[in-house]
Amino acid sequence: MPSEAITTALVKRLRTSTDLSEEDIKAIQALPIRVKEYAAEQTVVRDGQRPTECCLIVDGFCLRSKTITSGRRQILSIHIAGEIPDLMSLYLEVMDHDLMTLTPCTLGFISHQAMRQLYRRQTNVGEIFWRDTLIDAAMFREWIVNVGQRPAPARLANVIVELRERLRAIGKVTGNSFDMPLTQEQIGEALGITGVHANRVIKQMRQDGILELSRGRVTVFDEFRLMELADFDNRYLHQSPAL
Amino acid sequence: MPRFHFHIEENGRLIPDEEGQDFSDNEDVRREAIETGASIARDVFISGAADRVVVDVREEDTPFLKVSITLDVEEPTES
Repeated sequence: MPSEAITTALVKRLRTSTDLSEEDIKAIQALPIRVKEYAAEQTVVRDGQRPTECCLIVDGFCLRSKTITSGRRQILSIHIAGEIPDLMSLYLEVMDHDLMTLTPCTLGFISHQAMRQLYRRQTNVGEIFWRDTLIDAAMFREWIVNVGQRPAPARLANVIVELRERLRAIGKVTGNSFDMPLTQEQIGEALGITGVHANRVIKQMRQDGILELSRGRVTVFDEFRLMELADFDNRYLHQSPAL
Repeated sequence: MPRFHFHIEENGRLIPDEEGQDFSDNEDVRREAIETGASIARDVFISGAADRVVVDVREEDTPFLKVSITLDVEEPTES
C-alpha cells in the first residue's frame, strides 16, 4: 500500500479540524507505518499491556471498551478510519482499557519513537495531535452525558448522528446512509442497556419512520425527527480550526 | 444452542421479537429478561408512555419465563 493511501483518512480528518500546513502533511505521510490486516473482533491492545506503537485505523471500524470484574463490558467509543484511538499510549505507559477491531481492519502501527521524533522536529504537528486527543476527551464527555442522562432512544440517536458527522469528515457517508457495523448486543454495550432493549429501540425507530438500522448500515428517513431525538449539538466535535 | 424470543408488552401493546437470541445458560436468559424489563420500565415510566412492562420469554414457542413490572404511585387524596 502506498504511504499516501495509508494516511489519506487521517490527513482528511485533521484538515477538517485543525490548521494543517503542507509541510505538516508531508511529515505525517513520511512516518514509518507498519501495515497489518486484522479480522473482525480481534484485540489490538489489551488492558494492562505496555504498547510501544500507536495504532492508526487505515480502514475499518474499531472500538474501545472496559470490562468490569463481573465480566460485563462497557463500550467506550467507536473508531473509524483516520483515527489513532491509542494515541494516549505515547504518554500513558500501561493501557487502562481494551482496543479491538469491530470489522475486518487495515491497521497501521507507528512506533512511539517515530511519533516523538516528529513532535520534536515539528512542534506544530505535536500541537495538532494534542488537539486531537482533546477532541477525543470532548467526545467522552458527550458519551457520559448520553449514557447517564438520556433515555435509550435518544442515546442511540445521538451515537448514530455523531458517528455520521465523523464519517462525513472522511467522505464515508453516501446520501442518507452510512456504516454502523455494531450488533444489537454491541449497541446495548455501548448504550448501557441490554441487547434486547437495544433491539426494541431500533424497531421503534423503524416503526416511527425515523431510520432503519440493519446489517450494520444506517439509512435515515426523517432527518428532522432524528436530530430532535438525538439532542445533538456538533460543537463538541470541533470539526473546524475555528471551533 | 436454544434460541430465546423476548416479546415485550407495554401497557398491553405487544412488540414481538421475531429474530430471537441464542443463550447457552438459562441464568443468562433470566438476567437478560429482568434487566431488559427494568431498563425499558425506566424509560417508559419516566416519559409516561406506559405504566406496565412485561417481558415474555419463550424458548422457540414454549413459555420459558415472564417478568412483569408495574409502576404504582400512591398519593394521599385531599380531604
